[in-house]
Amino acid sequence: MSDASLVEPIVEYRGVSKFFSGIRALEKVDFACRPGTIHAILGENGAGKSTLMKIMAGVLKPDAGDVRVSGDAVQFPTPQSACDAGIVCMFQELSLVPDLSVADNICISDPPRRFGLIDRRQQVRRAEELLARVRCEDVDPNSLVRELSLSRRQMVEIAKALGRDPKVLILDEATSALTSRDVQTVYDLLAELKAQGVASLFISHRMHEVDALCDTLSVFRNGQHIETFAKGTKSERDIVRLMIGRDVETQFPEKPLVSSASDAGEAILEVSGLKWGRRLNGIDLTVRRGEIVGLGGLDGQGQKELLLALFGVLRDVDGSVRIGDRKGIPASPAAAKSAVTRMALVPEDRKTEGLMLGMSIADNLLSSSYAQISSGPFIDPTKARDAVAEGIAKLQIKVGAPDDAVMTLSGGNQQKVVIAKWLMIDPDIILLNDPTRGIDVGTKQEIYKLMRDLANEGKAILFYSSDYAELIGCCDRVSVLYGGRVVSEQVGDAITEESLVSASLNIDTEGA
Amino acid sequence: MMQTLLSTENRPIAIASTFIVAILLAGTVYTLSTAGTAPLLSPNYLLQQLQTGSFLGICAAGMMMVILLGHIDLSVPWTLTAAAMTATAVGGDMAIPTALAVGITVGVVNGLGVSVLRIPSMIFTLGVDTVLRGLMVAQTGGFAPQDKATPIMLFLAKERMMGIPVAIFVWAAVSVAIVVILTRTGFGRSIYATGSREAAAYLSGIRTRLVIIGAFVASGLCAAIAGVMLAGYSAKAYQGMGNAFLLPAIAAVVLGGTHILGGRGRYIGTLVGVILIVLLNSVLSIMQMPEAGRQIIYGSVIVGMLLVYGRNQRVTS
Repeated sequence: MSDASLVEPIVEYRGVSKFFSGIRALEKVDFACRPGTIHAILGENGAGKSTLMKIMAGVLKPDAGDVRVSGDAVQFPTPQSACDAGIVCMFQELSLVPDLSVADNICISDPPRRFGLIDRRQQVRRAEELLARVRCEDVDPNSLVRELSLSRRQMVEIAKALGRDPKVLILDEATSALTSRDVQTVYDLLAELKAQGVASLFISHRMHEVDALCDTLSVFRNGQHIETFAKGTKSERDIVRLMIGRDVETQFPEKPLVSSASDAGEAILEVSGLKWGRRLNGIDLTVRRGEIVGLGGLDGQGQKELLLALFGVLRDVDGSVRIGDRKGIPASPAAAKSAVTRMALVPEDRKTEGLMLGMSIADNLLSSSYAQISSGPFIDPTKARDAVAEGIAKLQIKVGAPDDAVMTLSGGNQQKVVIAKWLMIDPDIILLNDPTRGIDVGTKQEIYKLMRDLANEGKAILFYSSDYAELIGCCDRVSVLYGGRVVSEQVGDAITEESLVSASLNIDTEGA
Repeated sequence: MMQTLLSTENRPIAIASTFIVAILLAGTVYTLSTAGTAPLLSPNYLLQQLQTGSFLGICAAGMMMVILLGHIDLSVPWTLTAAAMTATAVGGDMAIPTALAVGITVGVVNGLGVSVLRIPSMIFTLGVDTVLRGLMVAQTGGFAPQDKATPIMLFLAKERMMGIPVAIFVWAAVSVAIVVILTRTGFGRSIYATGSREAAAYLSGIRTRLVIIGAFVASGLCAAIAGVMLAGYSAKAYQGMGNAFLLPAIAAVVLGGTHILGGRGRYIGTLVGVILIVLLNSVLSIMQMPEAGRQIIYGSVIVGMLLVYGRNQRVTS
């Protein structure tokens, strides 16, 4: 252990647990963070990193255990009280108000006052000082935040955090949108803060940043604190191994033997050079009939945008796409589902995008297939009833009556409704955006089996999951995305957790 | 007990129906005690009330389509007036088709503004209403236009068939059409889906823009039909003839249990809402309530009933 462990920790967790509706987010976590360090928090998606930070920042309250700051047990009722104790957090989602000026935003929680009113001149001066500290003198404190670029906004966010005199500074993916010049500024700033005895907690998925910046590393997995160690004591390969662990509990349906040869079916979806804004930077991808192709990578590397773009939701998408015999991206979801080669999309958020929660199960099941159940302009009640019954039976959805509101169902059954809805149009290509998120293991396995059955029927499936185990268990091929590009394609037995995690972090462990 | 027996959709309808009976009873008690008669319970009186109520009923039917989407159509008054004035100005056989064309045009404009330009319907339809008023003033400014209703308009609004006012048949026909559209067509179900959650409807492959345009066209068309009939009933078209219909139409839809934010509601509720408003007005006028008192009671009833609905919903959810 290094010298840092001799210093009294500024923040300490003892046996902290947190559950979200019965699902473990953190379990009995002991964790300490000492002043004058830059401490990296590493882990896969859903490892509990963000929950850990949110508890520290007073956004969430722990269900068990206690949090100590400078040795005293504390319970922060609000983020403001955590802030008062010197714990300042910058979350992934930018917390700036777009329609207020930069100065207003920087001083938003504690503006300088004069006779009870906000002293604008003083406020601008303070903003200028802080912006100078982050070397953003070019930003006018009076300009509106919405007029700034994303990377400038992130710098303003950092200036705002500095303005609160942090003792503990939490940076949750704070560098994801920065230009390289700004990243250097942030590095210098963190080094400066470290010299002043501030503890910085740094969450990043970029290993080279962690390497360049941090002195202590903690690895989390499945809501548990695995290990904390000083930088340089472990190789990147060891760190990756710590992050993925070794417990695979779920059973996956057997993959067909032939599918490892990629010439199994006809290529029904071909994408090349797909670009959209800054999120997709030239995606190349082929999906064949009878095949499940996974999209891997960390959250937010363009997987969701890719699926939405293929489904005709996004505007101004560049690149060439061939779907069946047709060239080009469908103009809208309505066009995508009614083309000769039909597509279906199970969207990311079933509660707001997949379902009309207030409507009945039957209405939700039929909402994509009015054309199939109508005779002329009128819905045929017999066909509608049969279609609903078939959908419920096929996916074994546990319902009271088809006329019950869909919101009375459990999460797993709700997701089955979304999938059943799309199966009614008999799609050729099925796009799945993290379909098993937040549902129980049993339903997950049913969905895996269904996916394999559909593939065996000759459908093409493009499947994004944030869970590596799923990708390994379900997919014939996995394309790993990083920064809006496919950085690695893995086939059959070559898909391993290690290779996926390495590709996700865009590091090469082959030589190690 | 009522909460276990009735779904969220049906409870307001039951409450409003009960209230209608209460109004009739209260009014009858009043007339019996003052004049010794019970005109409120005579079929002829009720048919006459329904005849005048049919104009409001048709407006409300169209309004409901738009409210089911979570939008609102504030252009109803001048769509109605414009359709009526154009019909009388054109005259002859083409009077009614022209009026309907006016209604459809206004609906398409409203629908495009809301679905394509994404301007909030409350603002956009208010603007369209004002533009229509300007157009009508410009049309009639300076010279007296032809404002006499055609014979067929008179027939639709004033005549009786088998002892029943023709206007009620028209209202019934519009109602049947709306019910069939809402319950038996993909378009109708798409209205509910879009009003319930537009993003999910869009991602289900529903053409939400067309759905929105379609609903506004239905509203414009209904307002035009109401305009034609009202012109027939008054034997002429005149400026501002639609002004009295906007708020009662919205009130009828909402009293009938249609959710003002869209996605939920049954047409039978709108029918009950219209009847409630018509009877409330007529009982208040039988009681010779001064205008000021009538307004106060009328407004309080609407607000009060909505409070009752809201309370019940919160208890059950």
